Amino acid sequence: MSETTIATDKAPAVEVKNLSKHYGPVKALRNVDLTIAAGEYFVLLGPSGGGKTTLLRTIGGFHKPTEGQVLLHGRDMSHLPPDKRPTTMVFQAYALFPHMTVLQNVSYGLKVAGIDRKQAEEKAAAMMDVVGLSGFAERKPHELSGGQQQRVQLARALVLDRDILLLDEPLAALDAQLRKDMCLELKHLQEKVGITFIHVTHNQEEAMTVADRIALVADGNLVEHGKARDIYRAPVKKFTASFVGENNMLSGRVSDVNGVSCTVDVAGSQLVVQKRGQQVAHGQPVDLSIRSELVQLSRANGSNNAGDGHSILGSYDEAVYLGLTTSHLVRLPNGVEMTSRTISDAVDDLPTPGDPVRLHWQPEAIRLHTS
Amino acid sequence: MASLTTNSPGGAARSAGETSAVWRERVGRWIFYLPLAFMVVFFAVPMALTVVFSFFERTMFWMEPAFTLFSYNNFFFSARLENFLTSMKYSALAVVICFIFGFPIAVFIRRSIPQVAQHRVILLFILPFMVSEIIRVFALRPVLQRNGLVNTTLMDWGLIDEPITSLLYTHTGVVIGEVLSFLPFIVFAGFLAMEAVPKFIFEVCDDLGVGHRRRFTDVILPLAAPGIFAGAVFIFVNGLGVALLPNILGGPGAVNAGLIATQAITALDFPLAMAVSAIMMATLMGLLYIGHRLFDLTKILTPLN
Repeated sequence: MSETTIATDKAPAVEVKNLSKHYGPVKALRNVDLTIAAGEYFVLLGPSGGGKTTLLRTIGGFHKPTEGQVLLHGRDMSHLPPDKRPTTMVFQAYALFPHMTVLQNVSYGLKVAGIDRKQAEEKAAAMMDVVGLSGFAERKPHELSGGQQQRVQLARALVLDRDILLLDEPLAALDAQLRKDMCLELKHLQEKVGITFIHVTHNQEEAMTVADRIALVADGNLVEHGKARDIYRAPVKKFTASFVGENNMLSGRVSDVNGVSCTVDVAGSQLVVQKRGQQVAHGQPVDLSIRSELVQLSRANGSNNAGDGHSILGSYDEAVYLGLTTSHLVRLPNGVEMTSRTISDAVDDLPTPGDPVRLHWQPEAIRLHTS
Repeated sequence: MASLTTNSPGGAARSAGETSAVWRERVGRWIFYLPLAFMVVFFAVPMALTVVFSFFERTMFWMEPAFTLFSYNNFFFSARLENFLTSMKYSALAVVICFIFGFPIAVFIRRSIPQVAQHRVILLFILPFMVSEIIRVFALRPVLQRNGLVNTTLMDWGLIDEPITSLLYTHTGVVIGEVLSFLPFIVFAGFLAMEAVPKFIFEVCDDLGVGHRRRFTDVILPLAAPGIFAGAVFIFVNGLGVALLPNILGGPGAVNAGLIATQAITALDFPLAMAVSAIMMATLMGLLYIGHRLFDLTKILTPLN
C-alpha cells in the first residue's frame, strides 16, 4: 500500500512511452518518448504540422494513441477520456461559450461536476481574480479582447483543480505586443499556481520566455529536448540549430579526426570543431552551425589564407539594417550565404559589396551535428 | 472682365460633364430604391389589398366594396375554423418531426464531415428541389397507397396482415408529405445555426465532462435556437399554406389554410379566400413576434463575432 503511494508521489507528471499516432498513411507521431516532471513549465516547440499539437492532444485524451502509452502521475491513462484525466486544456481561440457570461463560462465545469451553484461561482470568482479578470464577471465573450478571452479560458481550466494544464498555441491569435505581455504573465501564473504547464507553440521567442524545458517536435519525431538555455546554446541536432536562434548552417566533410575535436572541410577551408561526444569518421558528411551574433567580420588583408581553423573567407554581399542589430551577408566560395550580426552602428566602415572579407569566431562557438 | 464672364467652349463642356456626373449620382442614389418600389408594388400593396378585400361583399362572380365581417363570420363559425386549427396542429407536428430528423443531420454535417466537403453535402439536399413539387408529392401516392410500396413490403415481411389505409388521404399522408418536402429547410437552418457554435466548443465539453444531454440543452440548443426557430416558422407556415400537399395527399377533413382558400376561390367566394389569407398572415406575424421576443431573430444574420 504505502509503496504504491510513494511510487505515485515520485512519478513524473507525464510519461509518454513509445507513442505513435497514425491517421491512415500519415504518421503524425512516431515512437515518441518523453518525461515531464511535476511542477515544470514544459514547451513543445516546432513547425506547424510537425505533430506537437497531436502529442499535446494525445496527452489530454482528445486523441487515442495508435501505439504506446500515456502515463500521468505514474498511471496508464492512454484510454481515458479527457475529463477523467488530471489534465485540462486551453485552446487556441474561439473556445468560450458565447451565450454565457464570463462567470458562467468559468463556473460551468464545476456545475457539471455537481458542485452547487453558489460554491461554484465563489470558486470561479476567486480564480478570475488570479488571472486578472475581476470586474468582468457579467461580460459576454464578444465584449472581451482576445487576451481577455484567453484569460477566461485559463480561469475555466484552472478552476477545475486538475494539476496538468495543456496550452495549445494559446497566444497564436494575439498581436505581437500582447503576446509578449501574456507570455510573462503565463510564466508568473505557473509559478503562482505551481502545477505542470505544457505549452505548444511554433514561436521560439514565446518558448524561450516561458519554458523551463523545451522539446523540439518536427515531422512526428521528438527531435531533442533539454533546458531552454541549452537548446539555444548547444543544440545537438541539426534541426534544432536550424529552428532555434539565428544560426548559420554549413555542410562539409570530415578531413581529420583527433581526440576531442575534428577538422571539417567547408568550401576549401579547414574548420576545427569539438566532437561533443559524437562519433565521426574520415570523409563523413557533417553539418556545422554557428549563431550569427558570434560571427565577426573583418576585411581580408594581406595573405588570403585564413588557416587558423576558426575563420572562413568570402565576399561581402550586403548589410541588412534591423534596428538594434545589422546583419552582414557574406557569400562563401561555394555559394552559401553566411550572416554576421552586430549591434548596429558598431561598425562604421562597411566593406563595399564584392570586397573580400574574413569571418571568424571563438573556437567553442561552432558546433558539430552528425544528425 | 470679359474673359471671366464669357463662357469658353471648354467651360461649357465642363459644365455638361458636371451635369451628367450630378445626374449619375442622383440616378445612382435612386437605383437603390428600385427594389423597395418593387416590393411595395408587388408585395406590400397586394398584402394590404388582401386585408381590404376580405371585408368586401361577395357578388356572383367577383366582389364589391363594402365593410362586412361576413367572410370572417363564415370562417370562424364553420368547420373551416376547426380544419384550420387541425392543420395548425399537424403542421406543428411536421415541424417537430422535421426537427428530430433534420437537426441531427445538420449537427452531424458540421461535426463529422471535413470542412471542405460540408457545403457539398449541404448541396445534396437541394437536389430534390430539381424535381417539380407536384411530381415529387404525387410520387408519394404509389408509395403510400393501399397496395403501395410500404404496404406490400410490410405484408411481404409478414409484419402486418392487412394494408394500412391511413397512410394516404389522411392527416398522416399530409404530414409525411410535409416532412419530405420541408426537411431540407431545417437542415439548412440548422447548418447555418451551427455556425454560431465555436470551433473548439465540443472539445471543451469533452474536457469539462459535459454529457451528451447537457451538451445539447446547455450549449447547442441555446446557440442554434434563432436559426432553428426561423427554420421551424418557415416549415410551419408552409405546412399551413401550401395547398398542393393536402390536395394530393389529404382527404376529407385533412386540409390546410391554403387549401381552404383555394377551395373558396374555386367557389368564387373571393372575400372568404382573402379572409383566410389575412388570418394566416396574422398568425405568422404573431409567431414571428413571439420568436423575436424569445430569441432576437436579428442574431440569425450575425452568427459569429
